[in-house]
Amino acid sequence: MLDECCGPGYASPADAMKAPRETLLYTVALYVGTGVEKPDYLATVDVDPESPTYSSVIARTEMPQIGDELHHSGWNACSSCHDDSSMARKYLLLPGVRTSNINVVDVSDATVPKLHMVVSGDEIKAKTGLSGPHTVHCLKSDIIISMLGDADGNAPGGFLHLDKEFNIVGRWENDITGMNYNYDFWYQPRHNMMVSSEWGAPNTFMPGFDLEDVGKGKYGQSVHFWDFEAKKIVKSIDMGAEGMIPLEVRGMHDPTSNEGFFAATLSSNVFRWWKDGDDFQIEKVIDIPTVDVEGFPVPMPSLITDILISMDDKYLYFANWLHGDLRQYDIADKANPKMTGQVWIGGLLGKALEVNGVTVQGAPQMIQLSLDGKRLYVTTSLFSSWDNQFYPGMKDKGAQMYIVDCDTAQGGMAINPDFVVDFGREPNGPSRCHEMRYPGGDVTSDIWM
Amino acid sequence: MTTTYRVTLRNRNGVPLDVAEDEPIYAAALRAGIQLPIACNYGGCITCAAKLITGHVRQPKGTALNRRQSQAGFILLCVARPTCDCVLDVGVESHRGLYQNPFAIAGNRYPPDA
Repeated sequence: MLDECCGPGYASPADAMKAPRETLLYTVALYVGTGVEKPDYLATVDVDPESPTYSSVIARTEMPQIGDELHHSGWNACSSCHDDSSMARKYLLLPGVRTSNINVVDVSDATVPKLHMVVSGDEIKAKTGLSGPHTVHCLKSDIIISMLGDADGNAPGGFLHLDKEFNIVGRWENDITGMNYNYDFWYQPRHNMMVSSEWGAPNTFMPGFDLEDVGKGKYGQSVHFWDFEAKKIVKSIDMGAEGMIPLEVRGMHDPTSNEGFFAATLSSNVFRWWKDGDDFQIEKVIDIPTVDVEGFPVPMPSLITDILISMDDKYLYFANWLHGDLRQYDIADKANPKMTGQVWIGGLLGKALEVNGVTVQGAPQMIQLSLDGKRLYVTTSLFSSWDNQFYPGMKDKGAQMYIVDCDTAQGGMAINPDFVVDFGREPNGPSRCHEMRYPGGDVTSDIWM
Repeated sequence: MTTTYRVTLRNRNGVPLDVAEDEPIYAAALRAGIQLPIACNYGGCITCAAKLITGHVRQPKGTALNRRQSQAGFILLCVARPTCDCVLDVGVESHRGLYQNPFAIAGNRYPPDA
């Protein structure tokens, strides 16, 4: 083993699972659409149960510009650079969906993150014709970021390529023929493949969710399989009504695997994907039924807004942001996932209005799993304008963070009764917490070559 | 010569702004030291929405408001330029009726503004 001289991350998923337990967690926290006219910030949360400040925000790193709408985040380096001792997982990239700024935060001192630099959204628009940054993945020494719009916020966007000093290289892809919209992506370098999904144009989703836009075809319903080296789409699959708004795409962590899952958020179906020789296939494996709610003229979808796979590739977790539940599925048989756990936190069905002494605003949304698979962290905000439509109380009362304890032997989930971070009590006023990352890497960022 | 109009922020103690006909109202407020909601700064994202009480504006490149929202009097301050003297309510406090749960209003597209 080369571990003594190695770069960031871990030699394998199995090694990652043996890492020390996480003690800190980063989450973006937003003031967009709350009435607090201050920049969004990165919140550092103490998740060490032995610490006196457990279950609280211990640092706040403010972005330089107001109105970013921080959303997802990603590392400058992950386990894909594990063999490169010149690399370090030192910078967290925090794109602002609405400004297109990419804020780079230095976490050399993990408890005191500091702003390192900003890649200006105006510069990105001018040099690449792209806006609306979303998913950040490192690729050895390079960084690629899915961009959801062109410079004017219209579809289909593309992919931004940054070097390891965060200089704009240009557009990553050679050809986006077949892509209607852009959103998330996952790559499996050993199989020379990438999968990307579709939300909508920034100018469509930023103002809020309108069913009329769905009727006009302004939201995505296709997934795209890429030749990763040639940087072009080789197969697109239009899923029709069963696959509306495919968002998070996850691959198995085992680098020899050429399979994974994604959720069609609006249709509220989970699909599996796999490479089949030189071809790619998908299959619907979970279908969450809509619920008839009194006073609602149309049935309410569950809205699967985030999904992830445990580091050992044994469990699938996802959040139903309108219904209000989090689910765990055993995926030993990938074509027939079996539900093994479920908890309720908030949601429009009203099944868990208060959890751990706090009235929940929103419902399970972003999720992040500990490397050992035993603690699922969850936040309740989706996106400021969509929060304001579905959970209008959040702008005045803030979002929440919880831990769900997961049984990795028998299956099962239980809300940890000792942990809640109520972003309604932040010193500058209530904020919205969203995606989470651990300093040492996690199950939604680390990819192995 | 540039024409300037008086824009009054009714729910900010009626503070008056002198806004040139080619200046976004958001920028004029910021110049006066008033930080209003802002994000995309090109009319695509709704964060800067405000309610026009009286007057008229033009909003080049503003796309974020649908017909219902525009009919209810909402405007986008990052692109809105006055074409006469205006009175506005600004900030998130002015957003009552701006957002709707789309599943709760489906089939009843344009109910009376709440």
